[in-house]
Amino acid sequence: MKRLYLLYDERCGLCRRLKEWLLQHEAWLELVAMPAGSPQAAQMFPELKEIASSEDLVVVSDEGEVYLNNHAWIMCLYALREYRSWAYRLSHPLLMPFARQAFESLSRNRRLISRWLGSGNIETIANELRQVTLEPCSPTEGTISDYLQ
Amino acid sequence: MQIIVISYFIYLVISLGLTIWVARTLHKRGAIFLVNAFHGNEELANSVNHLLVVGFYLVNIGFVSLALKTDLAIQDWRRAIEMLSDKLGWVLLILGGMHFFNLFVFSRIRNGNGTRRPPVAPNAILRVAPVSHP
Repeated sequence: MKRLYLLYDERCGLCRRLKEWLLQHEAWLELVAMPAGSPQAAQMFPELKEIASSEDLVVVSDEGEVYLNNHAWIMCLYALREYRSWAYRLSHPLLMPFARQAFESLSRNRRLISRWLGSGNIETIANELRQVTLEPCSPTEGTISDYLQ
Repeated sequence: MQIIVISYFIYLVISLGLTIWVARTLHKRGAIFLVNAFHGNEELANSVNHLLVVGFYLVNIGFVSLALKTDLAIQDWRRAIEMLSDKLGWVLLILGGMHFFNLFVFSRIRNGNGTRRPPVAPNAILRVAPVSHP
């Protein structure tokens, strides 16, 4: 595995911000981001439309492995030099459902989540992550009918 | 020649000999680890290996030099051998410690360098892997 393709929902402000954050970091694996549902994505991954919708965050490796949503967030962290160990921590079954919350917290305030993970108690971390509120993936431009298309 | 000078000489020969032996072992056996860690990039692996061995020599020879002097009055061979044994013991412990430290560095480089498996399993696998780079 040498490269990860990240297919994100371009209508979602949070996804765009996290994508920018991802691409700023040094990575073990090459990261290529493209909007989900774009002609480029459709051309490269014709099979994906049977697997994921455009609202899913999708990560595809250069070997064809597809990771969706929480798995995809964890794979993004796995790709980064500085954050690989966090990916292993977050893959714990109790923390996995909050991968996205963790990702959001990490990109905003590294020190906070560093303290949680440092405490080592999985249940405490899960409780903390449960309280992280995510802004909804709403369209930031265009009308609702554009979004529904 | 005075007993103390002969003792110092023996100490230096044994300590430096051991340092060279351990450093060469590290250099030879560590190379395989590093080539693997750097995905077959032998040039980079050799460079890192060389730098590690230089550091190893500096620390050990530095310690051997600092530990040479004794304030004991050495008048007979019994004292001389005890002093030698004491000092060589320390040199061996430091060499051992440095050796394990180097092994630790090797394993860190190996684990951290993209060779660890992903933490999660894929949700699906494409029948056709992506080929072209955009």
